[in-house]
Amino acid sequence: MLMRAAQQGDAAAYARLLAAVTPIIRRTAARRWTGTEEPDDLVQDVLISLHQVRQTYDPGRPFLPWLMAIARNRLADIQRRQVRRAKGEVAVEVLPETFAGDETKEPIERIADAEELGRALATLPPRQRQVVEMLRLKEMSLREASAASGMSIAALKVSMHRAMKALRAVLTK
Amino acid sequence: MKTEDLIRTLAAEARSPPRRLRSPAVRLGLWLCVSVPWIALVVAVMGPRPDLAIKAEETRWLLEQGATLMTAVTAAMAAFCAGVPGRPRWERSVPLAPVALWIGLLGAGCLRDWSLAGPQGLALQVDWACVPGIVTVGLVPGTAMAIMLRRGAPLAPVLSVGLGGLAAAALADFGLRLFHAQDAGLMVLVWQVGTVAALTAFSAAFGHRLVRWRHLAAR
Repeated sequence: MLMRAAQQGDAAAYARLLAAVTPIIRRTAARRWTGTEEPDDLVQDVLISLHQVRQTYDPGRPFLPWLMAIARNRLADIQRRQVRRAKGEVAVEVLPETFAGDETKEPIERIADAEELGRALATLPPRQRQVVEMLRLKEMSLREASAASGMSIAALKVSMHRAMKALRAVLTK
Repeated sequence: MKTEDLIRTLAAEARSPPRRLRSPAVRLGLWLCVSVPWIALVVAVMGPRPDLAIKAEETRWLLEQGATLMTAVTAAMAAFCAGVPGRPRWERSVPLAPVALWIGLLGAGCLRDWSLAGPQGLALQVDWACVPGIVTVGLVPGTAMAIMLRRGAPLAPVLSVGLGGLAAAALADFGLRLFHAQDAGLMVLVWQVGTVAALTAFSAAFGHRLVRWRHLAAR
């Protein structure tokens, strides 16, 4: 009766109906596993869903199966969402910090000592040293470095690659 | 937001209620009222097949067309039922019977073609014309179905849109056979039923996009 009145625009009847179904939805939700979702959020989700499809209620059919079909559908969706979320998470007590431990770094990153890096750079041929300085230390783009040095972009890339290989060899000795 | 506040907000919105959804049977009637004139128009434009009068007296052709039509009608009805919360679930599986009958009749047709003409009777030729044919005839039924399904509840998006696609494609195949003279069992099975199956799968793949809870989409 209330739903029929609500479908005809009776806001007060609709409010009474929603208030009456809230405990039913809450009880249904409580019987199911819904992860970390707050009970109030679940109830509100079902109420909004019910509101969205209120035109689908047929006054010639019973109300409760209509309501429960919506509630079950929404709760199942929430369960699926919770399972997906749970799969993507790993429970840990202390979050691992990847920036503090040496074992998480590339060998080249371990060299924090600028002096050691300077010595390693000094062992490079002059052109390779110039390329490393331009591209890595001064953070110039390939185009800027090409304009500054007169070298082609391809030549810059080759020099950079050789320089990095040589540096890695020197620093990991 | 508190639940009480939400109820007040929703109740305020209920003063302008949306039009109540008609029963699945009425909606089926409306869908056919939109779709059948379009199919008649396409058949008229393409020109009915010259042997239509002879075919109309052939039991096998009539049975196949009957099963195709029943597939379309039951699939449309099931799609509309799937969008109404609280309706029994068995309604969704009703189209399985006419689909099985349709494929069974075509399978029996293949056997008959084999017994009459040997391996020649099961010759499979390329006939891509069925694909654009079914798509063209199914254009209006498919669009009408998509619009109608969006008004239902998104309880089973993949299933209801898949059933809707099956309904539109099967109805289109019914229309196609009124102007496209292709009756060999295997050819119909591969090209026509194959196209219907592909369109059904294509529709189902778009289920979640077409029919969804709007408040979740807005999040």
